Amino acid sequence: MLTISNISKSFPGVRALDDVSVDFKNGEIHALLGENGAGKSTLMKIIGGVYKPDTGKMFFDEKELVLNSYIDALSKEISMVNQELQVLPSFSVAENIMLDKMITFRKTPILNWKEINLVAKKYLDMVDLDVPPTKLIGELSVAQKQMIEIAKSLASKSKILLLDEPTSAISETEAEKLFDILRDLKKKGIIILFVTHKLEEVFKICDKVTVLRDGRKIDTKMINEVEKQDLVKMMIGREEKIESFRNKNIDKSILTMEVKNIVKYKKCEDVSFKLYKGEVLGFYGLVGSGRTELARLIIGEDKKQSGDVLINGKKIKIRSIADGLYKYRIGYVTENRKEEGLLLNSTILNNIGITIWPKIAGRIFRFINGQKERKHAKKMVQQLDIKATSINQLVQKLSGGNQQKVSIAKWLGADCDIIIFDEPTIGVDIGAKEYIHKLIFDLANVQGKSIILISSDMPEIIKLANRIYVFRDKKIIGEIEEVNKDEDSYNIVSKELGNYYT
Amino acid sequence: MKKFHLRDIFASGNFGLFVAALVLFAVLSIFSDSFLTSYNMYTIGRTLSLYAFIGLSQALVLVVGDMNLSVGAIGGLATITAGYLIDIRHIPGWLAVAVALLVGIACGVFNGLIITKFGINAFIVTLATSFIFTGINYGFTQGFSFVNIPESFTLLGKGQIFGIPSLFIFLIFCLIILFLFFRFSIAGRRLLAVGENSEAAKFSGVNVDKIKLLSHILSGFIAGLAGVLYISRMGTSSPVTGQDWLIISFAVAIIGGTGLSGGSLTAFGLLIGAIIMVMIKNGLVMLQTNVYWEQSFLGLLILVAVGIDRIRTVYNQKRLLS
Repeated sequence: MLTISNISKSFPGVRALDDVSVDFKNGEIHALLGENGAGKSTLMKIIGGVYKPDTGKMFFDEKELVLNSYIDALSKEISMVNQELQVLPSFSVAENIMLDKMITFRKTPILNWKEINLVAKKYLDMVDLDVPPTKLIGELSVAQKQMIEIAKSLASKSKILLLDEPTSAISETEAEKLFDILRDLKKKGIIILFVTHKLEEVFKICDKVTVLRDGRKIDTKMINEVEKQDLVKMMIGREEKIESFRNKNIDKSILTMEVKNIVKYKKCEDVSFKLYKGEVLGFYGLVGSGRTELARLIIGEDKKQSGDVLINGKKIKIRSIADGLYKYRIGYVTENRKEEGLLLNSTILNNIGITIWPKIAGRIFRFINGQKERKHAKKMVQQLDIKATSINQLVQKLSGGNQQKVSIAKWLGADCDIIIFDEPTIGVDIGAKEYIHKLIFDLANVQGKSIILISSDMPEIIKLANRIYVFRDKKIIGEIEEVNKDEDSYNIVSKELGNYYT
Repeated sequence: MKKFHLRDIFASGNFGLFVAALVLFAVLSIFSDSFLTSYNMYTIGRTLSLYAFIGLSQALVLVVGDMNLSVGAIGGLATITAGYLIDIRHIPGWLAVAVALLVGIACGVFNGLIITKFGINAFIVTLATSFIFTGINYGFTQGFSFVNIPESFTLLGKGQIFGIPSLFIFLIFCLIILFLFFRFSIAGRRLLAVGENSEAAKFSGVNVDKIKLLSHILSGFIAGLAGVLYISRMGTSSPVTGQDWLIISFAVAIIGGTGLSGGSLTAFGLLIGAIIMVMIKNGLVMLQTNVYWEQSFLGLLILVAVGIDRIRTVYNQKRLLS
């Protein structure tokens, strides 16, 4: 039995896990459920040795389990199948499976390829994957790579198997095959942790389910004790009060942006939508459903193969983010603020100023008016209530919420008409989350900006959006034309979304 | 304006450099009779100015996270362009200089366009172009120098004002412009932003390719300028000018605190970097070490400088995490 007790883990500005304790019994398939950012992946990574917990202990068969690294966990027979595939594309299938247990001729360092390929084939057969072991991984489909990952973890003969969304990239038949394997492993007494967003799967193969929300454990239940609705309720926290954000009625005569038939191979399959002035348009879907990909096609970060973008009725071509910002006043608050949103080693001043430099620079030498820049930064800091010692403070020293506010301030200050918010409240604390919600609401309803809100947080999107498009598999699969903000309609909308969700 | 505090100097990496320069100065003064002579100081003043320009041409690409292995080749090409035009074509000096600088810029454009348009890494592109440029140089000159350079052309390189080499005064003037450029101009600020995190810069509406191209153009321009200054300093235009620039350029830039990962460049740091570099070279001569060993010393010096830079980065990260 694997016991984790009172595990907490914080990252700068966010408490990812808060005093979580769970028991995992031998021969048990245990589902971990929760929304994005609930702490599932963090928990998996702690058990898989990738992260160390701040506080709390783990025990395996009554003995304390201390993991120093991923390799350490592997040597203690804990293996993890990652959400992001960790394969080496230019290596063969067999090499990928056998990487850490290559077979050599007796007592020599010379590799015995025949034997390696033979053993690899055995594992390929176990996952029913019909590819030659000598084939290069790069030539396989995503689903096949996923199966390779699973074969790899089978080959490492682990006692604890951690699966982080193993079915997100594979077909139903392949998933069925995987479940058969899991049932087999279960009989052998292996502990299996299973993270998924697909509730049906939980009921199909799991014995127990633990729901996490905002880093806390909500409950652990036997699967036969619960219904699907109970789990959804536990995950999204229905009791969370939906503020009475009553959006104004949209004047549908003013079309700010229209997107027609955007196509990009593997990223976007013929998407069209309209965005009106003063509207908050929700893009709901899971990670990888095509929302961010679409946003990046619109802002010119990625090149579309076909389709048109119209701003105020005029067909335009946005070549780059700079183009979008300075010519068409489109802003994009990225979901990935640490890598794309912020210059972490720079000051708040620099981060907020960067988008307005051209506006406040002299004519000839293009020298920036430092006084105007500082005044602007101070104004934005005040307006967004960014908690900092001064505008010269380094952004990396701010909390997650305040960092996100800086990332938003950059676009607000540039006076954009259209702002795309990509998961704006991911990894921020509750207070900042509320603040950002209020801000987005005001931007649309008071200032008349047009907002696209990309979010996989159901209460958030229902709270803020006028209309919602639901994304799945790189397409829009549904539209909720009008989001009523009454308590009852919340249930209706969440059920409607829930239908797509599962 | 942010208030100027003495402690800012101590906190910055530049202070350590400054101390290192002082220590080196003291050591050389004590151990060599001929170091602290006015003649030697004067020579050092001129040489360090050239080194600072060479270092700057490297620093301008390091700041965006690229590198330029062709600085010496560009400098050589600019040198012989100016020399040829003056000696053989009898073109007025200022025009010859302008053409030489244009050659430097053209080389930078060539490097920058290949790097940004084709997405090939700067290391391999500039390695290749360094051979191309050097080949053009040797093919054109057949290895001969241009020696008929009028006296007036050497005024900047050999002259002095109140006992200070005019070359040094010119350097200080350029470093002030550099300081202002990185502090106040859009282009300078964007160079720093791209160097710190090119993704974040792109997602803040900065055209990263344009900025990288600009950094290579500036690098080529400064390399060309350094080439022209060499003629002024030496009085001849030699095709071998630039052969030893590669290691100088990296040493000065890195010792001067231009991080290899980009995002940092200070005019003051470059100056100190050049001072340390020239003192070490000069000192090795003064202390009568065998000149054949010099390259190893310089290589070691770069490793030490990079090591210190790395320690500083790791230290800062640790301090932030705790």
